[in-house]
Amino acid sequence: MKKSFTFKSIAILSVISASLIGIASAPMSQAAKVKACMVLDTGGIDDHSFNAGSWAGMQSATSIADVQYLPSTSSADFQPNIKKFIDLKCQLIVGVGFSISSAIVAAGKANPGVKFAVVDDSAMDCNADYSVCNAVANVKGLTFGTDQAAFQAGYLAAGYSKSGIVATYGGAPYPTVTIFMDGFAKGVAYYNSAKHKSVKVLGWDPKNPSSGTFVGDFANMNKAGQISSNFEQQGADVIMPVAGGLEAATLSQSLKSGKSVVVGVDTDAVASYPQYSSVILTTVQKGLGAAIKSVIFDVALNRFNNKAYVGTLSNNGVSIAPLHDFASKVSSRLQLDTKIVGSGVRSGKISLSN
Amino acid sequence: MKKFYNRIAETALLPFLSVIMAFVISGLLIVFSDAAVLKVIGSPGKFIKVASSTFMNAYIALFQGAFFDPHLTQGHTLLQGFYPLSETIVTATPLILAGLSVSLAFQSGLFNIGAQGQFIFGAIGASYVGFHYTFSPVVHVTLALLAGIVLASLWGGFVGLLKARTGAHEVIVTIMMNYIAGFFILWILKTKSFLRPRRIDPLAPNIKPSAELPHLLGSTMRLHAGILIALLAAVFVWWLLNKTTIGFQFRAVGANASAAKTAGISVGVTTMLTMTIAGALAGLGGAVHVLGNQYALTSDIAGSFGFDAITVALLGRAKPRGTVMAALLFGALRTGGRTMEANTSTPLDIVLVIQALIVLFIASPALVRFIFRIKNLQSQGTLASKGWNG
Repeated sequence: MKKSFTFKSIAILSVISASLIGIASAPMSQAAKVKACMVLDTGGIDDHSFNAGSWAGMQSATSIADVQYLPSTSSADFQPNIKKFIDLKCQLIVGVGFSISSAIVAAGKANPGVKFAVVDDSAMDCNADYSVCNAVANVKGLTFGTDQAAFQAGYLAAGYSKSGIVATYGGAPYPTVTIFMDGFAKGVAYYNSAKHKSVKVLGWDPKNPSSGTFVGDFANMNKAGQISSNFEQQGADVIMPVAGGLEAATLSQSLKSGKSVVVGVDTDAVASYPQYSSVILTTVQKGLGAAIKSVIFDVALNRFNNKAYVGTLSNNGVSIAPLHDFASKVSSRLQLDTKIVGSGVRSGKISLSN
Repeated sequence: MKKFYNRIAETALLPFLSVIMAFVISGLLIVFSDAAVLKVIGSPGKFIKVASSTFMNAYIALFQGAFFDPHLTQGHTLLQGFYPLSETIVTATPLILAGLSVSLAFQSGLFNIGAQGQFIFGAIGASYVGFHYTFSPVVHVTLALLAGIVLASLWGGFVGLLKARTGAHEVIVTIMMNYIAGFFILWILKTKSFLRPRRIDPLAPNIKPSAELPHLLGSTMRLHAGILIALLAAVFVWWLLNKTTIGFQFRAVGANASAAKTAGISVGVTTMLTMTIAGALAGLGGAVHVLGNQYALTSDIAGSFGFDAITVALLGRAKPRGTVMAALLFGALRTGGRTMEANTSTPLDIVLVIQALIVLFIASPALVRFIFRIKNLQSQGTLASKGWNG
C-alpha cells in the first residue's frame, strides 16, 4: 500500500514536473533566436579595443541571439553593410562608432520594423540646419562617460609615477578619444591639488586641445611607438594610449625599455595582451559589451526602447580594471584613495566639468 | 577582321588569364581556411565534396553579391535582383575617375601616387559648396562638382609646377602631399565652418538635397548619375589623348621626354598640364563620391580609392577603356566580397588577395606565359614610369 502510494505520488510528481518543465522550456525552445548583426568601424575586429569590445558584447548574447558582423574598410562601406543586414533579415543592427550614426539613422527611418543601435553616438535625427534633433523610435544611442573612469586612472597614474611625469596620446582628435585624455588629465590635476604635488601630463591639456599629441590614424604602429619612446625620453613613466590597436606599440615599447608602464583603454589590456601584463598598470574600461548585450536582451524580450544609454561609473558602464600584476606594486593607500576618488565622482562630490 | 580579333585576344588574354589564376589560387585559400573542410581532410571522398561546395558557395555568393541576386527579387520586381549590380557600379564610379587620373599621368610618363590627396580635395570642395550654399538643383550640383575639380586640379597642378620648376620627382612629392591632404582633412573637419552645428565630432553637415547627384533607378537603388560623369570623363581622356595636339604632346613626353623637347614640345608645361588634369579627374572622383551617396564629409572619405586607383590603372594598362573595365572589376569584387563574407563567412580579405594576385600576374607576363604555355602572349606596351632621372 505504502509502496503503491509512493509509486503513485512519484508518477503524479513526474507528470507535474514534466508539465512544469514543458511550460518553462516551451518559450525557450519555441522562440527563435534573435538575429543580431553588427557593422564594424574601420578599426576592424582585431583592434583589441572598441570594435573587439563591441563584438564581445554580441558574442556574450549567443544564448539568445544569432550574431554576425561585417567589417568596414572605409565610411563608404557603412550604407551597403547596413543594407546587406537588412536583406539578411537581422532584427537588431548595431553600428559601431559615431561616424556610422547618420547611416544608421537613415536606415532606421527607412526600416521601422528593424531595431538599430549605435555605439558611441546618441544617434539623433536632425533637420537640415541641425537646429532640431530627435530620437528615432527604433534607434538607440549608446554613449559612455569614459572620462569618469579615466579620471580615476589619472589619479592612480599620478600617484604611481615616480618621475612626476605621466603622458597620454590619441589616435585621432575625435571626441570619443579626447574624452579619455580629458578625464586622465583632470584626474592628475585632482591628485596634484589633493596631495600638493605637481605631476605633469604630456600629450594633452584640457585647456589647450590643439596642443594634444595624436598619431593621426589608428593604424600607424611605428608612429605610436615613436610617440611612446619620445614620452619616455621626456621622463614620463606612465603612458595612456587612446588609439585602439596602437596600444600594442606602446606596450611593446614599455616592455622593451622598462622605463614606463601603460594604462590601457576600452577592454582590459591584461586580457587582450597577457604577454604584456608586467607593464599594464590598469585599464580604463568602457562597458561596450554589457551595454550591447542588454540591448540584444531588450530586443529578445520585446522591450526595446530608444532611450539613450549613457555608461557611467554608477551604472558600471565605465570602470577601471583590476590592477592584476600591479596589485602588489601599488601602495594600498593609493589603491584605497583611487577607490575613494571613484565614489566621489559617482556621488557627484567631485565634478569633472571644469 | 582577323587582325582585329587577334588584337582583342592579345590585349585581353593576359588580364583574363590573370583574373582566372587569381580566382583559382584564392579559391584554394578559401577552401583550406574553412573549418568544415579541414575537419574532413582525412577522407579524400568527403574532402572533395565539402571542398568543392565551399569553393562554389563562396564564388556563387561573390557573383550574386556583385551582379544579380535572385533572393532579392522575392516579393519585389525583377529589377531589385540587380541591386548588387547597382552597388558594383556605385563602388566603381569613384575608382574609374581616380583610375583615369593615374592612367592619364602614366601616358605622359608620370607616376601619380597622389590620386588619394587629390580625391580628398575634390571631396572637400564638393562638400563645402554642397552644404554651405543654396542654389537651384542643377546649378548647385554643377557648382559643387566644379569646386571639387578646381581644388583638386590646383593640388595636382602644384606637383607639376614643382617638377617643372625644380625637378622634384613627382613620386616623392605626391606621396608626401597625400599625407598633407590626409592631415588637412582631419584638421579642417574640426574647424567651425566644417563642424555640424552642436556637434564636436569630425563630421561635416550633410550636403543640401539640391547638391545631390540624381539617382538613376529610383530611391531603392543607390546608382547615381556619377557613373555617367565617369564614363564621360573616360571618353574625354580618350579624346584628349588620341585626338588633340595636347594629348599628342602628353604621349610624346611620356614616350621620350628628350625627343619631345627636341621636337619643340615644352616638357615643363606638359608636365604641369598633365598633373592639373590628373588632379581634376581624381578630384571629380572625390566630388562624385560625396555628392552621389556619402553626402557628409568624414576624415576617411577617400578610403583607399586613391591607392586602388593605381592598381586599376595598371590593370587597365593606362587606357581609358581598360581603366573603366578594371574599376568595374574591382567594384564587383568589393561588393561581391561583402555578400561572400555575410553569406558564407569567407573573410572579405580574400578579395584583397584576389586583387593583389591579379596585379601580380598582370605585372609578370612571363609567368602567365610559362604557366599556360602560350608562346606569343603580348604584354602590350609595357607601362613604365620614368626612372629617377626621367
